[in-house]
Amino acid sequence: MFSRRDFLRNMSGAALAVSAARPLLSWATDAQIGIPGKEDLIVRSYRFFDLETPVEYFRTWLTPAEHFFVRNHMHEPSTIDPTQWKISLGGEVEKPCTLTLAELGRMETHSVVNTLECAGNGRAYHTPKVPGVQWGKGAVSTGRFSGARLRDVVERAGVKSSGKHVMFRGLDEVPGKVPPFIRSIPIEKAMDPDTLVATHLNGAPLPKHNGFPARALTPGWVGAASCKWLTEIKVLDKEFEGNFMSPGYRMPNQPVKPGEAVKPEDTHPVTVLNVKSLISSPLDGSTSRSPNVHIQGVAWAGESDVTRVEVSIDGGNSWQPAELGKERAHYAWRLFSYQWKAPKSGEYTILSRATDSQGRTQPPEPVWNPSGYLNNAIDVVKIHVQA
Amino acid sequence: MCKRSIAISLFVVACVLPLVWAQSSSGPELPAGPTQAKATTACTECHDARIILQQRLSKAAWTKEVDKMVKWGALVEPQDHDALIDYLSANFGVDKAEYIAERPRGSAAKKERK
Repeated sequence: MFSRRDFLRNMSGAALAVSAARPLLSWATDAQIGIPGKEDLIVRSYRFFDLETPVEYFRTWLTPAEHFFVRNHMHEPSTIDPTQWKISLGGEVEKPCTLTLAELGRMETHSVVNTLECAGNGRAYHTPKVPGVQWGKGAVSTGRFSGARLRDVVERAGVKSSGKHVMFRGLDEVPGKVPPFIRSIPIEKAMDPDTLVATHLNGAPLPKHNGFPARALTPGWVGAASCKWLTEIKVLDKEFEGNFMSPGYRMPNQPVKPGEAVKPEDTHPVTVLNVKSLISSPLDGSTSRSPNVHIQGVAWAGESDVTRVEVSIDGGNSWQPAELGKERAHYAWRLFSYQWKAPKSGEYTILSRATDSQGRTQPPEPVWNPSGYLNNAIDVVKIHVQA
Repeated sequence: MCKRSIAISLFVVACVLPLVWAQSSSGPELPAGPTQAKATTACTECHDARIILQQRLSKAAWTKEVDKMVKWGALVEPQDHDALIDYLSANFGVDKAEYIAERPRGSAAKKERK
């Protein structure tokens, strides 16, 4: 897809631009101004960048890079020099080694269209509220990620039979005594042919905010499994022990009452995404001057396939099948649409509900948990029709 | 490539500098009160105030958050610990109005209205 020359040229050019803009970016982080490379996103936080994609950008299968959401736990790397960038490979391997970006660029390239969603997407809709970034609906985007297969990368070092998990460390800059953002995934997922060390998004080098120059891409899983600014890969004989594996990013083993405390031993790591849908048109609170309302949106299901999306205009008493878009890929959302004619002017509530190949469907309300993860409640949009 | 990169860099400088200079705001601040200054030191040393402004938590939940942040390096003197929790609970409690996040650019939402 890309020549090596293109790869290195793009990387070097982007790095110089980032380097030149860095002092300005450090000023800009606290000012209410635009963020270079990103456009028209909802600002949950400037420092660290937590930028949400407005749902109206979910009307295309691929989300443009400038509208692709951003979730950072820490400061972004202050210095990125792709000519010096190395990923170290170690742990339970035969031959620990390092890999430069140029070496990565010479490896076989594989592309995966993936819907990347933050585990905390929709956290703001939990009752009672839980701490954390109060994401609305848009901590999710879909992109074509390209790069080397992770299994090809780790096999350069030779994985020992004792290797059970693969740990990722990024170059995030840690403030204070905050634990570093390090997480691991099971070896089976790491060796899956669709798990990548991605360098490109939608055919261009990754934007800095999305992990330039290299990130893990663990398709179908929560975004936290896809470490950005990847600089170390370590094969472990067990799951990594650290704050962002436990107590962070864990779900109760059993449903809990809203507000109820959960013991750490009664939890498990958040991994695969749920089945979920979002309505991207009409927008919540909008007015249609025509009785003909074109309802559209997106639906995804992590590692499963979306088999059906339904729309309701009567509060969920009856459901009509929506038409699914032709564009599809294993880990990517499907577009859906439904043409509806309002019988008269008035207030209407539109719901969307997806079902997947496992038979899973969306719950009517968010399933409360202490960290507000994996909210996949039926989507609700209220509109006014003035025909 | 070098000339192109310099041109990109100059373009970024040309675009960003006027915007930075035009803005005297350094982002939203924590609300006024006797603990404002200490809360600002303790919290915004590492992250911006928006992270706090958007929370709506009980006193028990704020206590847990403050204790976690102290463990992670937030500068809170022991004698200020309870006052900080009271300040956060009073200003960002469960009964407070919804926080509206900024969306600095674009008008797609307005365009939607037909």
